[in-house]
Amino acid sequence: MEKAAAVLELRGITKRFPGIVANNQVSLDIEPGEIHAIVGENGAGKSTLMKMVAGLYAPDEGQIVYRGRPVIFRGPRQAIAAGIGMVHQHFMLVANFTVTENVILGAEPARRGLLDPKTAANQIAELARGYGLKLDSKARVEDISVGEQQRVEILKVLYRGADLIILDEPTAVLVPQEAEDLFEHLRTLKKQGKTVVFISHKLDEVLRVSDRITVLRRGRVIGTVRAAEVTRQKLAEMMVGRPILFDLKRSDVTPGEAHLCVESVTARGGGRTILRDLTFRVRSGEIYGIAGVEGNGQTELAEAIMGLRPVGSGKILLRGEDITNLPTPKVRRRGLAFIPEDRHRRGLILPMTVWENTIIGSETSREFSRGPRLLFDSIYRFVNEAMARFDVRLTTIMAPAQTLSGGNQQKVILAREFRGDPKFILASQPTRGLDIGATEFVRQQLLNARDQGAAVLLISADLEEVLSVADRIGVIYNGHIQAEFSREEADPKTLGFYMTGVRSGESGAGKEGGSLTA
Amino acid sequence: MFNSEMLASAIRLAVPIIITAVGAVYAERSGVVNIGLEGMMIVGAFAGATGTYFAGPYVGILIGMIAGALFALLHAVASIRFLVNQIVSGTAINILAYGVVRFAAISIFSMATTTPHVDSLPTITVPFLCEMPVLGPIVTKVSPLVLVAFALIPFTVWVLRRTVFGLRLRSVGENPLAAETLGVNVYAMRYWGVLISGALAGLSGAYMAVEHTGMYVEGMTQGLGFIALAAMIFGNWMPLGAMWAGLLFGFTQALSLRVVSSAIPYQFIKMIPYVLTIVVLAISMQRSRMPAADGVPYERGEAT
Amino acid sequence: MKAQRKAKPVVLQPRGSRRIALLEVSGPILSVLFAMLMASVALIMIGKNPFAVYGTMFAYSFGRLDSVAYILSKATPLIFSGIAVAVAFRVNLFNIGVEGQYAVGAFFASWVGASFHGLPPYIHLPLVILAGAFGGALWALVPIWLRVKRGVHEVISTIMLNHTSYLLLHYLMAGPLKDKTLVGLGTVGSASGVRMSPILDSARVPRLHGLFEAIGINIPAYVSLNWFLVVGIVLAFGMYLLIWKTPFGMQLRAVGHNPKAAEAAGLRSNAVLVRAFLISGAVAGLVGLSDLLGYFGYLDVDFPKGYGFTGIAVALVGKNGALGIILAALLFGFLSRGGMGIQVLERVPMETYFILQGLIILCIVIGSEMVRRFVRAQQKKEEAAADV
Repeated sequence: MEKAAAVLELRGITKRFPGIVANNQVSLDIEPGEIHAIVGENGAGKSTLMKMVAGLYAPDEGQIVYRGRPVIFRGPRQAIAAGIGMVHQHFMLVANFTVTENVILGAEPARRGLLDPKTAANQIAELARGYGLKLDSKARVEDISVGEQQRVEILKVLYRGADLIILDEPTAVLVPQEAEDLFEHLRTLKKQGKTVVFISHKLDEVLRVSDRITVLRRGRVIGTVRAAEVTRQKLAEMMVGRPILFDLKRSDVTPGEAHLCVESVTARGGGRTILRDLTFRVRSGEIYGIAGVEGNGQTELAEAIMGLRPVGSGKILLRGEDITNLPTPKVRRRGLAFIPEDRHRRGLILPMTVWENTIIGSETSREFSRGPRLLFDSIYRFVNEAMARFDVRLTTIMAPAQTLSGGNQQKVILAREFRGDPKFILASQPTRGLDIGATEFVRQQLLNARDQGAAVLLISADLEEVLSVADRIGVIYNGHIQAEFSREEADPKTLGFYMTGVRSGESGAGKEGGSLTA
Repeated sequence: MFNSEMLASAIRLAVPIIITAVGAVYAERSGVVNIGLEGMMIVGAFAGATGTYFAGPYVGILIGMIAGALFALLHAVASIRFLVNQIVSGTAINILAYGVVRFAAISIFSMATTTPHVDSLPTITVPFLCEMPVLGPIVTKVSPLVLVAFALIPFTVWVLRRTVFGLRLRSVGENPLAAETLGVNVYAMRYWGVLISGALAGLSGAYMAVEHTGMYVEGMTQGLGFIALAAMIFGNWMPLGAMWAGLLFGFTQALSLRVVSSAIPYQFIKMIPYVLTIVVLAISMQRSRMPAADGVPYERGEAT
Repeated sequence: MKAQRKAKPVVLQPRGSRRIALLEVSGPILSVLFAMLMASVALIMIGKNPFAVYGTMFAYSFGRLDSVAYILSKATPLIFSGIAVAVAFRVNLFNIGVEGQYAVGAFFASWVGASFHGLPPYIHLPLVILAGAFGGALWALVPIWLRVKRGVHEVISTIMLNHTSYLLLHYLMAGPLKDKTLVGLGTVGSASGVRMSPILDSARVPRLHGLFEAIGINIPAYVSLNWFLVVGIVLAFGMYLLIWKTPFGMQLRAVGHNPKAAEAAGLRSNAVLVRAFLISGAVAGLVGLSDLLGYFGYLDVDFPKGYGFTGIAVALVGKNGALGIILAALLFGFLSRGGMGIQVLERVPMETYFILQGLIILCIVIGSEMVRRFVRAQQKKEEAAADV
């Protein structure tokens, strides 16, 4: 069979960021007129790769060949001019502009500086009709649904003459019906001769609509396959790979009473429902791991428990006491420790010193202050001991927190949160961006706490972390706990299915839905 | 008390607020907070009076606008190019304006706080409307700048809604990131917004000195630059709303000038505009819709 | 390297590398010099030789004893004002209302000072000071409440209250609290006759001249140098203690640097903001007291204005730190005195003082911003190297 000349070729693309190689010698072809999916877990490098194609980043090594010619884009405008347009995961729309205004911004049809609204409206109507995109061009973007907003983004790139259209996690924000509509649009685009590349972690959708699929894992290409020739299982295996083995010690502990109960919690954010009827519970002396690809409500769940995000309906109970929507200081006072997922923005106050970060939140406690006086001897003693106990590598505790490496910064957060032997620990993506040593350390600390009888809620996008540490596992997808497994029952393949929506809580093996009985 | 004279007075007093508030709309819609409007009005007033003294009212008023724009340029460079906190930069402008004007006054006129009396622009009378019962006194023998002020409103609405410039200006104040990815020059747009606000504030000051009082007196702006900001906020960042808010404040000012003998001591009447500003802000901040990126410094290349 | 196991930590590197510390200190100095350079342009425009002018400024300010004393005396209110602004700045609040707050503070102080006959000084004076602080805090209450509850930006509300305070005080001084003894005396004291009753002797602040005499320095009597300078320095030290040695100070700095992380760690941001702003207002209330209790002895409509705005410059130049504020206050005292000198001797308008103020602020903030970016870029490089 004669191979059509590739419309886009990536040859040996490598991209590095401080501390991590996002893409490592990535090579792949995109054939003209196909729908090509790029899949992988978080941190696989999918977004970074496509952002380079769209001109937002420049590769450190390698070549991008578009329509047979090597190209170097120095900004998104050049890529658009060449015919490559990207629809981002987080929409770049001006909320209180109309659809029309958003589409034409920067490329306005005008006569001597004066906008030509009729021409604009006609052009957009034509375009929308041609591609079957139903839109009210006079509506304000903030008033239309998320699915419609996405259509506006697609229109934007079509309006500027894009032939290669990249979509980054397009269904992340859509409900199933809207996703169906999107797939119809993609098929129409294909029929009109456009080439579509889309990034996703949802395997069933990918299989439904794409022609070929490339799997990335940890910055490398694992393989490119034809959708018709591959199964979901094979894809999931390629995505997840084999776990690294850590040497973690755990004791035999019988879990006690339910410490935290989350009952049918619903929460909204950004104009849509993020947590849907979410239910699970964590008992003392166990680690409950929530596995899932990022963007399925994990961040919001952690915020809701800690009182940083309002809960619409449902209840959160701590040892039977209702703490729903309680302000953060009160939640913490009931013995909740929190390791936030963004240690730079939520976890630490980077310009302040290590010792200050270690005691922040407890500065008024009797151990550290007497009235208006800070008891420095006592503080330094505690901090030095904590630094030793948590193996923090630093020259001095007077240095600003931002001078520490990621792993050490995380340990400082642990040192702070574990003071007072909390009975409940919420650890959100605790080992993200950490090296192997620090990762092992953090996981062991969580296990130790559990051995001492604490209830630990671990939220992690790293599947093998959840598998190696948790006693029970709940899979979150679309803001809902789809299934729960015990440590013994869980296996990567099955979890992968639930994580990627291949199976949903409505049918399939395993215990469905989160439950209040273990 | 509530008669045509009062209304005419209120309008005359509202004019500086309206002009400055409309100018503020240009800056704030592009995403830059301009606290330095008071300072720009002061330099506009002084420059306007001085220019008129030497070269007549037309030139004088133009110089007033230029002076305002120059000071705005300072603010723009500091806050857009150097990403300095916009409030601090604006406050520095106010202090600088106060000093520069005093300095110039002494150097040119040997008086620190006033300029000599100057001529005004020839007054005009709107032909048809001056016959009408209520409107009559308002449009008779009135400074042309009053009409300019009111013409500014529909003009600004038109610019914002129907021109490419207006669309891009607004986009930069709502979502500079999105605008940049589409090729809009965020920096340039914001510069324009700030410069226009400075020129209009200068015009407003020049009006006060040349047309209204007939000379520059230190402190004549009495915080109107800030009241204009509040008027803009009350008007929900839209020209028409700013106009109504400006008229309201103008009315309270007119009130404070007229009510000489009454049960309430005159100081409290004079307080009304300021207290009203606070009340207005307290109410409108809740329901207002500020440009999403207002006051947030933007660094080019944030899109990558 | 493991952490030290002593109770007192070893301080090897104070705050970042030494190069950065050097930059932080030299920033304000360079900015001031640059501002003076720009002001030279204005001087040249009116036909003056900048070198001669600055030379005279220095000679006049430091070459005479009464000048030095005057600088100290002029710096006193600026220290208070700088502290007030700085405390608010540290939580990213802009207290432009120091002007009005010190007017109201002076009012309350004046009222308490003129009433209450028969109190011993060591009770009356502290009471008067407390009244001043109360007045200032009172005038700061509305802006911070509106900011926290309704999101009203404190810049506008404080400026509105500045104007309001003048009118309100004018009414009180011309009416109910007018100095009754002035009736019929016409223009004695103040031109308009609008003033409050004089402060009783028991509430006046003693001068520092006695202290200096004891060590052989005879300050001329016409310079008003009083113990409030000492109070100001002590207060600056107090601010230092508050910010660095108390739990509230830690909370203050945390909320100022990263309100989100502070919230997640369990701090109540709003409570911190309110306390900080009220402290700022209370200190602001004291700004006018050295003039009121040490020089004038009564409050009238001609009470000096402008300390509030200069305080903003002082806080910025002093980088919101105690020592910096004291030095910056002295700087502006020097500029003020030098301004008088060049007005008399070189016929340069002393309004140059205000121009310099504005220019200095602009230069400082632009300079600081550039330094901050440079420092952050450096630290990012260090970070990347540290991360495995």
